Amino acid sequence: MSASSAEASGETPSKDPVSGRLLSWVSTVDHKKIGILYISTALVFLGIGGLEALLIRVQLLFPNNTFLSPGLFNQMFTMHGTTMVFLVGMPVLIGFQNYFVPLMIGARDVAFPRLNAMSYWLLPFGGILLYFSFMTGQAPDAGWFSYAPLSTKPYNLMPAQDYWIIGLICLGIGSVAAAINIFVTVLQCRAPGMSLQRVPLFVWMSLMTAILTILALPALNAALAMLMIDRLLGAAFFEPARGGSALLWQHYFWVFGHPEVYILILPAFGMISEVIPVFSRKPIYGYAFVAGSSAVIVLLSYGVWAHHMFAVGLGMGADMFFAVGTLLIALPTGLKIFNWTATMWGGSIRLTTSMMFAVAFLLEFVIGGLTGVMFAAVPIDWQLTDTYFVVGHFHYVLIGGTVFGVFSATYYWFPKMTGRMLSERLGKWQLWLWVFGLNATFLSQHVLGVMGMPRRVYTYAEPGWMALNAIAGAGAVAMAAGTLVLLLNVWVSLRKGERSGDNPWGGFTLEWATTSPPPPENFDVIPRVESRRPVWDLDHPDSADSKFEKTPEDNGWRPDKSVTSVWAFVASEAMFFLLLLVSYVVFNTDQTGDIRSASVLDVARTGLFSIALLGSSFTLWRAESLLKAGRIPQFRRWLMLTIVLGSIFIGGQAIEYYGLISSDVTIDDNLFTATFFTVTGFHGLHVIVGLIALSILLGLAVKQDRNVLSGTALKAVGVYWHFVDVVWIAVFCIIYLRFLQ
Amino acid sequence: MIELIGDKILWNWWSPVWLVALLVTIAYGRRFGWKNHAKTAWLTTGLAVLVFAFVSPLGVLADGFLFSAHMIQHLLLLLVVPLCLVLSLPVVKSGAFPPAGGLSRLLSKPVVGWLLGLGAMWFWHVPAFCNAATESYAIGIVRSVSFLLTGILFWWPIYSPSKESRLPASNAVVYLFSACLGCTLLGIYITFTTITVCPAFASPEERLAMMTALYDAGMTSAVDQQLGGLLMWVPPCSLYVFAIISVLCRWYSVDDTEALALQAKTMVEASS
Repeated sequence: MSASSAEASGETPSKDPVSGRLLSWVSTVDHKKIGILYISTALVFLGIGGLEALLIRVQLLFPNNTFLSPGLFNQMFTMHGTTMVFLVGMPVLIGFQNYFVPLMIGARDVAFPRLNAMSYWLLPFGGILLYFSFMTGQAPDAGWFSYAPLSTKPYNLMPAQDYWIIGLICLGIGSVAAAINIFVTVLQCRAPGMSLQRVPLFVWMSLMTAILTILALPALNAALAMLMIDRLLGAAFFEPARGGSALLWQHYFWVFGHPEVYILILPAFGMISEVIPVFSRKPIYGYAFVAGSSAVIVLLSYGVWAHHMFAVGLGMGADMFFAVGTLLIALPTGLKIFNWTATMWGGSIRLTTSMMFAVAFLLEFVIGGLTGVMFAAVPIDWQLTDTYFVVGHFHYVLIGGTVFGVFSATYYWFPKMTGRMLSERLGKWQLWLWVFGLNATFLSQHVLGVMGMPRRVYTYAEPGWMALNAIAGAGAVAMAAGTLVLLLNVWVSLRKGERSGDNPWGGFTLEWATTSPPPPENFDVIPRVESRRPVWDLDHPDSADSKFEKTPEDNGWRPDKSVTSVWAFVASEAMFFLLLLVSYVVFNTDQTGDIRSASVLDVARTGLFSIALLGSSFTLWRAESLLKAGRIPQFRRWLMLTIVLGSIFIGGQAIEYYGLISSDVTIDDNLFTATFFTVTGFHGLHVIVGLIALSILLGLAVKQDRNVLSGTALKAVGVYWHFVDVVWIAVFCIIYLRFLQ
Repeated sequence: MIELIGDKILWNWWSPVWLVALLVTIAYGRRFGWKNHAKTAWLTTGLAVLVFAFVSPLGVLADGFLFSAHMIQHLLLLLVVPLCLVLSLPVVKSGAFPPAGGLSRLLSKPVVGWLLGLGAMWFWHVPAFCNAATESYAIGIVRSVSFLLTGILFWWPIYSPSKESRLPASNAVVYLFSACLGCTLLGIYITFTTITVCPAFASPEERLAMMTALYDAGMTSAVDQQLGGLLMWVPPCSLYVFAIISVLCRWYSVDDTEALALQAKTMVEASS
C-alpha cells in the first residue's frame, strides 16, 4: 500500500538523493512517509493479531475442543493482546499523529525528523523480536500484562518471556521518543496566529496523549527492567517465595496500564472531533470543554490504576477511594458524548462512511463506557472480574472507540494522503460488517461473562455456552471480512479511485489548505490563522469565525525545541527513577539480615564522591554563564572540569562495586542488594551517558562548532546533567542515609 | 453515633481559634471593607472552616485520638482555609501585591510556594515531628500556624489578587500536577508502610466513648493510618484537579479588553 501510494501521488523518485523507491522509504525522515510506514506496519500486525483472535474463536467454538492445546491457547491470547496494544493500536495512532499533526498546525515537519525515523524503526525491531520468540519453540504465554509470579523464572523457564520483555522495552523507548517529538512539535512548530487555544482538537488530543505517554511508559519500563533483572540476574523483586512482591508488579503494570487506555482512546476522541463538525457543517460544540476535560482525564488517569486490582485485597479503604476516583473520571469522558451529539444537533449532516463510523463510535463507545462504570462498583467487579464480561467491556472501548475512530479518520484523511477517494459503497459494507461483528462477538461475551465463563481458559464443558460462542465466532469472521473489504477498497482506490482535489469534504483545518497529497515541504503559503477553523475562514470570508467568535490571540511564545525536549525526557526519566526508588523503599523499610545498607555501604566514602558529582553541577553552571559571557577558553576549562568531576564520581562507584562484588555481595543475594544495584546501576548509566554528551560538546567546542557556542545545546545537556545530580541526592538520602526506613 | 457526636467532650467551644477569626475579620474589614459580597463569602467560608477545624469533634479527635481526623484537620488548614483566604482578597490592578521588599518578593516566588506548601505536608509527617506536635500544645500551635502560612504561599501563584503575579496557565498546571504527585507519594507511603507514622495516635492516653465505638466498628489504629494516608492522597489531588480546571477556564476565556478591541475592529471593517 505504502509504495503504491507514493506512485499514485506522482512523486518522482529522482527527487530523492538516494535512488530506488525502497531505499527512499527506508531512509526517509519525512513525517508523512513515516506516518504511512507506521500505519502500514500496524496493518501488517493487525493481520497477525487478528489471525490469533480467529484461532482463539475457533478453539472456543464448541465445548471440550482440542483444536489448540492449552499451552498454545495461552500463547495465542498473550500474543493477541500484546500485538493489538503495542503493535497495532499505538502505532496506528502515532502514524496518524505523525502525518497530520504537522499539517494541522501548519508546520513543515515534526520538530526532530531523524528522531522520528528512529522511533519508527524501533517498532518493526521490537515487533520482530517479540515474534522471533516463536522460533525458540514457544511464544510468551503469561498474558499481555505478564502477571508475576507466572512471568518469573521458576514458573516460566522458556526464553519467550525474555523476548517479550526486550521487545516491549524497544517499543517503549520508541513510543516515548515519538511522544516527545509530538509534544515539542505542537509547542514549537505552530504557524503564526495559532495559539494553543486554537489548535484543532486532534492536535490537542495528540498533545495530551504525548504527555500521558511520556509519564506512563516509564512505569512499564521500570517494571520490565526489574523483571528482566529477576529473570536474567537472579534477583527476586517479583518472587514472593524469596521475599519479593507479586503485587508490586501489578501496581507498576497498571500505573502504566490505565493511562495506556487513555493513550489509545484520546487520539480517537480527537479524530471524531474533527470528523463530526466537518460533516455537520458546524464548529464543535464546547471546544474548551472537550479540550479541558481531556487535560483533566490525563491527570485523573494516574490516580485510578488500582481499580484493575479490586480483587487482590487492597483493603476496604483503598477500594473505596479508587472506586470514587474511577466514577469521577467517567465524568470528563462521558460528558464529551454530549458535546459530539450537540455538534450534530441542527447541523446539515452528511452521512459519509467517515461520519457513519463516527456515529457508530458514539453508540458503541457508550456501551463500553457504561460497563466500565459498572466495574467501578467494587462488588460488581468482584463478581465479574476475570470473566468474559471484562473481555466484552474493553473490546467495546477499544473497537467501538479506538478502531472505529481510526476507520472514521481513514475515510476522512485517505483523500489527503493519496489524492484519491475511497469507495463509499465498499466503505458501507465495511461499516456494517464491523458493527455486526463487534456486537455479535462482544455482546455475546457480556452474557457469557454473567453466566460465569472465565477468560483465559482454553475450553469449557458447559454445553449451554456453545450457542453464544458460535455467535461470537461469526462476529469475529465478520470483522475479519470487514478488514478485507477495507484492504480491497484501498487497493482499488489507489489504482482507479476518483481524484479528490485539495479539500473534498469542505474541511476546516490547515491540512486541507495544501495539495492532496501534500508536497514534501507541506505548504507553499501558510494561511493566516485567526480562529480555530482557518480554512473555513479562508473559504467563507463573510462568515469567518474570527469575526464572530473570539479566541485567545497567539502571544508568539514558542519554546526552544532542544531544551523543551530535554525537559520532557527528564520528566519521563524522573518517573522511571521514582518507581525504582519506591521499590527500594518498599523492600527495605524493615531491614534485617547480614547484608543491608547499614552493614555493607561506606557512607563517608560515597559521600565524598557525591560531593564531586554535586560540584560538577556547579562547574557546569559556571561554564554556562561563561559561555553566555562569550569567554570561550574559560568556558572550555570549566566544561573540562565538569567532565573530570563526573568521572571521579563514576570511578568512586566502580571502586564501591568492586569492593562489594569481591566480598560476595551481589545483585541476587537479597532484596537490598537487588534494589541497591538496580537503582545505583541505572543512575551510573545515566551519569556515563551524560559524560559522553558533555565530551561531545567539549570536542565540538574545541572545533568552534557554532551550534555549541550558541549555548542551546549546552543548556539542554545541562538540564539533563543537573537532573542526574538531583536524582543522586534522592538516591543518597534514601539508600545511604536511610531516610524513610 | 448521633448521640456520641453530641457528647460535650467532643466539642471544644472555648478554643482560642475564635479570637483568631475575630482578629482576621476586623483586620479584613478595616483594610478592604465589605462591599464585595463574593469576596466576603470566601472570607466567611474560610473562617468558618477554620473554626470548624478546631471547635468541632474533628478538632478534638485530631488532638491525639484519631490519625484520620488529624489528617482532615491538616488538609483543611493547609489547603482549604488558605485557599479561601487568598480568594477573599480583592483583585488589584498591579504592583499592590505583594508589597515591595526583598522578603515578600522571595516568598511570592512559585518555587518557594511549592516547596513550602509541599514541605509542610512532608515535614509534619516525619514520625518524630508528628508526635511532638500532637503531644505538645505549643508545638501544635506552631504547626497549625505553619500550615496556614505555607498554604497561603502555596496558593499565591495560582490565585494571587494581582493578575501579574499569577503563573501562566501551562506553568500553573505543571505546578498543581506536580503538587498532586507530591501528596500522592506521601499518601501512598502512609497508606502502605508498615511503620507507624504518628505513634501518639496509635496509643492515645485516654479513650473517648466515640473511640471505643469506632474501634468496635473495625477502626483499628492500622486502619486509621491507612485511612489517613488515603485522605492525604485523594482529596488534595481532587482539589488540585479542580484548581487546574479553574486555571484552564481562565486560559480559554478571552480577556475583556481584547474582546472589546476585536469587536471595535469588526465594526470598523463592517462599516468600511
